[in-house]
Amino acid sequence: MKPFKKITGLAVLGLLILTVVSSCKKDPLSNLSNDDSRIYITNYDTAASFETYQTFSIEDSVNIILNDQSLGNQLNAYDSTVISQVSQMMKSRGYTLVPKTAKPDLAINVSRVTNTSTGIISYPDYWDGYGGFYDPYYWGYPGYDYYAPYIVGAYTIRDGGLEIDILDLKNAASLGNKIQAVWSGLARGEDVFNSANASAEVSTLFSQSPYLKSTN
Amino acid sequence: MRSLFKYFAAVSLVLVMCVQAKAQNPVELNIGYEMNIPSGSFRNYITNPAYKGFTAGLAVPLNDQLSLGLSVAYNDYYQKYPRAVYDEGKGSAISAVISNSIQQVPIMITANYTLLKKGFIRPYIGAGGGLNVISFDQYLGEYDNPQSRAKVTAEGEAGFYIPLSSYSATAIKIGANYQYAPYAKGINLDNWGIHAGIRFALR
Repeated sequence: MKPFKKITGLAVLGLLILTVVSSCKKDPLSNLSNDDSRIYITNYDTAASFETYQTFSIEDSVNIILNDQSLGNQLNAYDSTVISQVSQMMKSRGYTLVPKTAKPDLAINVSRVTNTSTGIISYPDYWDGYGGFYDPYYWGYPGYDYYAPYIVGAYTIRDGGLEIDILDLKNAASLGNKIQAVWSGLARGEDVFNSANASAEVSTLFSQSPYLKSTN
Repeated sequence: MRSLFKYFAAVSLVLVMCVQAKAQNPVELNIGYEMNIPSGSFRNYITNPAYKGFTAGLAVPLNDQLSLGLSVAYNDYYQKYPRAVYDEGKGSAISAVISNSIQQVPIMITANYTLLKKGFIRPYIGAGGGLNVISFDQYLGEYDNPQSRAKVTAEGEAGFYIPLSSYSATAIKIGANYQYAPYAKGINLDNWGIHAGIRFALR
């Protein structure tokens, strides 16, 4: 039995060495800049005809959503930059900014979403409480429901992010009193709520959405 | 589960054979450095060579030319791709820096056959088969999508020994190998490797 014990001992030693060696693996996160760490996810309703919309309105502040609960609206330097940049991008795509009282074709909501308790945020989770975050009355559509017609969120993502939603007000009545989301943009990662990154985040979301343009 | 049982039964059988053979021949220990290059569909994920590779094995000579043993290796593959937009279909797109990090630990039963009994350089050929423990992490930005699997694997190798002494098994071992490493349907993590190490007898 002595040789067998020796072989077993060597095998155990080998596995120990292997464990130590494997701990030397390169950590991919240590090779990422803050910019590299961020991801941008966009989704759109493939049935929507973006060229048929002409006007839009955007909320003047940002909704803060923590653990699926709205904490109300805020407007800090980051939020202002995001709202301004979204407006600029929409205008550059041919849409006209109008006050919400002018019955815009599209409404735009901006949110800062953070989840610390459940650890996971996905688009469907976020949409579960949408009516509670944004009262349809704000856009002049009391009694309407919000609706996201597509399954979105290929990946479940942890912690906070910037969420921009474009809603179809033009066809809300004909869709059975449903305010349908036609586009969603999500930015997540390190330093996502840094004012210095706000413009670039919005630009990236729009740059990967070339279909978002009006014939205006 | 049944294939895992068969695998461990085979390993046990080899160990028993090795213990019996040990009565006549001392067990040899091989340790070495290994560098691997992805091949085939593996290159869809990583094209960079794995420079962090190690190999170790125990072998029992059954005669002057043939030996049987057990080997284990470790290879660390990594590649970071610049930011790009990935179309996920159905209106979904993701812009991300993708980092692929793959570690393979093949644990194999091996057979080695030395073509020349004597000489300054002694060529050998070898083959092995066993279990490949794979850790596959794909990062979208800082977000990980980890997957670990254990799959069957096989390997063929060739190289040569340079004996350091006429009176012992101690030798430098230099060789190249190809590992067949299925991972998932349509995805193999096959790779070419070169290795250099030392073999010595355990008394």
